[in-house]
Amino acid sequence: MRRFLLARLVQAGVVAVVVGTLCFVLMRVLPGDAAMRIAAGRYGPDAMIAGAAEKVRQELGLDQPWPVQFLEWLANLVRFDLGHSLVTGAPVIEELKVQLGASLWLAAAALLLSLLIGPAIGIVSGLRPNGWADRLGLAGSVTLRALPPFMLGLILMLVFAIWLGWLPPAGFGSWRELALPSLTLALGLAAVSSRVTREAIATVAKAPYFAFARHKGLPEAAVVRRHGLRNAAIPVVSYLGLQAIYLVEGVVVVESILAYPGIGHALVHAIVERDIPMVQGTALAMGLIFVAVTAGVDAASAWLDPRLRRA
Amino acid sequence: MSIETAFPSADRPRRLSARTIGAALLLALAAFAILGPWLIEADPARQDLGASLAPIGGAYLLGADHYGRSLLARLAHGARLSFGMAFLTMMTAALPGIFFGLVAAWRGGWIERMFELLANIVLALPGLMLVLLLLAFAPGNFGPLYLGLALTLWVEFYRVTRATTATILKQPHIEAAKLLGFGPGYILRNHVVPVIAPLIATLAAFAMATAIIAISTLSAISVGLQPPTPELGSMIVELLPYYAEAPVHVLLPAVLIFLLVLALQLVAQRETR
Amino acid sequence: MNAPTRIHDLSIADLSVHSRAGPIVRDVSLSLQPGRPLTLLGESGSGKSLVAQAVMGTLPPELTASGAIRLDGADLIASTPDERRKRWGRAISLLPQEPWLALDPTMRIGPQVAEVHRFVRRQAAQRSETLAHENLRDVGLDHASALYPFQMSGGMCQRAAIAIAHAGGSGLLIVDEPTKGLDADLRDSVVARLIEEVDAGRLLLTITHDIGVARALGGTVGIMLEGRLVDHGPAEQVLMAPSHPYSQALLSADPRSWVRSAPVPSGDVMLAGRGLAKAFGDHTLFEDVDVEVRAGEIVSIVGPSGCGKTTLGNILLGLVEPDAGTVERRKDISLLRFQKLYQDPPAAFPPHQAIRKGLRDLVKLHRRRWDEVETLLARFQLQNALLDRLPGQISGGELQRFAILRALLLDPVFLFADEATSRLDPVSQKEVVDVLLEVARDTGLGVLLVTHDRALAEKISTRTVMLARRDT
Repeated sequence: MRRFLLARLVQAGVVAVVVGTLCFVLMRVLPGDAAMRIAAGRYGPDAMIAGAAEKVRQELGLDQPWPVQFLEWLANLVRFDLGHSLVTGAPVIEELKVQLGASLWLAAAALLLSLLIGPAIGIVSGLRPNGWADRLGLAGSVTLRALPPFMLGLILMLVFAIWLGWLPPAGFGSWRELALPSLTLALGLAAVSSRVTREAIATVAKAPYFAFARHKGLPEAAVVRRHGLRNAAIPVVSYLGLQAIYLVEGVVVVESILAYPGIGHALVHAIVERDIPMVQGTALAMGLIFVAVTAGVDAASAWLDPRLRRA
Repeated sequence: MSIETAFPSADRPRRLSARTIGAALLLALAAFAILGPWLIEADPARQDLGASLAPIGGAYLLGADHYGRSLLARLAHGARLSFGMAFLTMMTAALPGIFFGLVAAWRGGWIERMFELLANIVLALPGLMLVLLLLAFAPGNFGPLYLGLALTLWVEFYRVTRATTATILKQPHIEAAKLLGFGPGYILRNHVVPVIAPLIATLAAFAMATAIIAISTLSAISVGLQPPTPELGSMIVELLPYYAEAPVHVLLPAVLIFLLVLALQLVAQRETR
Repeated sequence: MNAPTRIHDLSIADLSVHSRAGPIVRDVSLSLQPGRPLTLLGESGSGKSLVAQAVMGTLPPELTASGAIRLDGADLIASTPDERRKRWGRAISLLPQEPWLALDPTMRIGPQVAEVHRFVRRQAAQRSETLAHENLRDVGLDHASALYPFQMSGGMCQRAAIAIAHAGGSGLLIVDEPTKGLDADLRDSVVARLIEEVDAGRLLLTITHDIGVARALGGTVGIMLEGRLVDHGPAEQVLMAPSHPYSQALLSADPRSWVRSAPVPSGDVMLAGRGLAKAFGDHTLFEDVDVEVRAGEIVSIVGPSGCGKTTLGNILLGLVEPDAGTVERRKDISLLRFQKLYQDPPAAFPPHQAIRKGLRDLVKLHRRRWDEVETLLARFQLQNALLDRLPGQISGGELQRFAILRALLLDPVFLFADEATSRLDPVSQKEVVDVLLEVARDTGLGVLLVTHDRALAEKISTRTVMLARRDT
């Protein structure tokens, strides 16, 4: 268990280094005066007076060798000293605080919704393999998996917001704005988790320990409750670890396409606008959300499966 | 339901037929992507504002978009772009991935640890994030998109090749082959390749599907390829405001993406146990 | 220990099991009384497991049983699925094959026993735990109730399964291949445990392919072949003087009934290890071992699993480095003439390659002639048709003969046979051993045989080296 947490901590560090390095390089290769840009990123647009830039150049040690500058850059990153947006001038950390809430709501709602949809369909499919429910579930899963999330989001928007007029097409505030983006992500996640659940149930039903539980004389309800559920849940939960990738990527895409004001939306905007401090801040936040979700899945897996607790 | 007959489930002969359907679909789409731009003489960039949103079946076989550009030509060029780029990315990811995997499994030691570290660094972030960060260098350009995708996709080829090869190399028949005097080349050709080849084929199809999804998605959120490039994802977004007047026009590029990804995923399907 | 529910008689009369294609078990009649265990002996596919499944009521739905199975008068075949299920755990218990797979991997052993008291015998939770602890203590697992199955050895899992059978208090115990997957040296303790069950008053029906188990259990033995009971009677009679030709062949293939025929060394020392030692981590496998193999002799290394006997063989072949000691090999002989046979024949051939391709490539590599292969095929009674099959489509005995053939193409002077017959049925084992003996005699091949089977080693080896398991 401790080993998992340590691995995730290392992963968080790698995320910071990768994001920080790319942004450091980015800051210096973009055409134009790096000192001006960095000065603005550090102290806000108030420092954007030509004379001040020269002062900043010395103060920041831009004349120093780049490894020194790089280490300093990373040190600031690790201290969450993320600087100011080049576009709005506001401190990046303040903008992130607002967006983080929106994105976390979205991710949590999507995950919860997918856990309500996916395993339910999987159980219905798995109880009668090759029955009509199973075939329908498979067809739905294959179809959904071939739809990129941005298309799925647009389709849902057309159907629920424009044709039916039930939900607002974009924005943030109440559950009504949350519904479309979270449903988009949840359907994509459920497309896979329903099949994983189905396979898990089929595997458990064929497992020798499941047969033995019956042969012991246990009533069917006790067999399923005591020996079926936990064992079937193990692969479903551990698969969530892989799905965390889909979730984080999906948050970026769906927020952008449905104009949901979260971190993913901000990241894409920052890239288009070359707002490097914002790119760095948002990418770091998304990366850390990814690490946190994976760590949560690790913990849940270890709680379910004693074999993983060995270490 | 027609879908139900098209994608039936688990039992063997039917799953094979789902694969066959996928292969046939893929072949048809590949033909459209390769031959289409060559056979269709219309220029995908030529505007004819008089023919804005021309209906299907008129002067333009599949209609024209809001600038009056031939949709058929744009779809064919879009398919070629998606397909070609996905193929190129897949190859760029697969060749080093497989090679590194074989080397790591065969040699072990510090070489393997180095590749593992590299793979773990790439995997620390979701692939799309890495592509986005690289795109920040030159939004709307082909280079960083291609590089970013290849950089994230090689890992899967590497990991599967390494793990499978390592398992094979531990088996007694490898030791037996060495004792019988067979060299590494023979063992690679006759003992390793037959086992990993089908896995690699599956991965290749999945990698292409991933690349196609990523390219269209990034273009749709306007950080990938930019208009007027006939890219399927950005075509959808460009045409979306006109969906009330010309709903099928919006649908066409979307269906093309869907079919491309579907075909690749059906081809990638393998009999599970 | 819960006193088992007394059952006085299980009688099977004219039991047949039919599939859609026809009968697969025909007219089996047997009876079982307290104090006299019944053992069904046969190879896989002989129908012995189907008999057990018919008694338990777990035949696959596509199979139907006819005839009568009476448990103290009640007809099991005529009963409804519900009635059958009510007997599970209460009247009939099944000791599963490979119990480490039959225990829930995510539940501690204590609760897995206690739930039988709780849900089958309707005891209160607290009382169930106490009773479960007693059941575990009876099988010597009083310390194990907080362990998960993956933390226990195969033998411990076997005993936990017995504790579960005790918890239900059933009077009939059906045991399916009790030694499958267990080390041979654990066999005796499993059998001793089963005899205790008989002494406690349970009826015991054992299904096995292991003649040793049948011999040790005693009581009544039935031998099955192709769905029929071909021999049946008291163990002493059936195992000593079998009446049916198949039983005779089966029993004469048991190493214990072989005539000793060890080859005589015909030449110099081919390979010698002196003062060999090996440890894995803190665990010392062996120290200061000397082995010598001369031309034409068979040297056996015998010992329980985990004692390092395979590692010793691999050290002699140069596949593993010893921690101490030296291996002396004749310098003038090519390394290719030191070969190995493997425990699991299918694993020793590439699974995707037809046998012919592998042999052709080998012949080409070493510039031999294909006639040599043809000659050896005839000599080992291997049909030409087998050449075009994949390793998975050939029986273990035939594959092992192919492995010997393959090695002989390199004119070996030394062959390390690593448990080369332990996965084979007795008849195939005999065939492979006969081939080995013949080759050793004719070509002066020195054989190092690693085995857990003392009887086998005794009958065919010129000399035997014993290794013991060392517990650190």
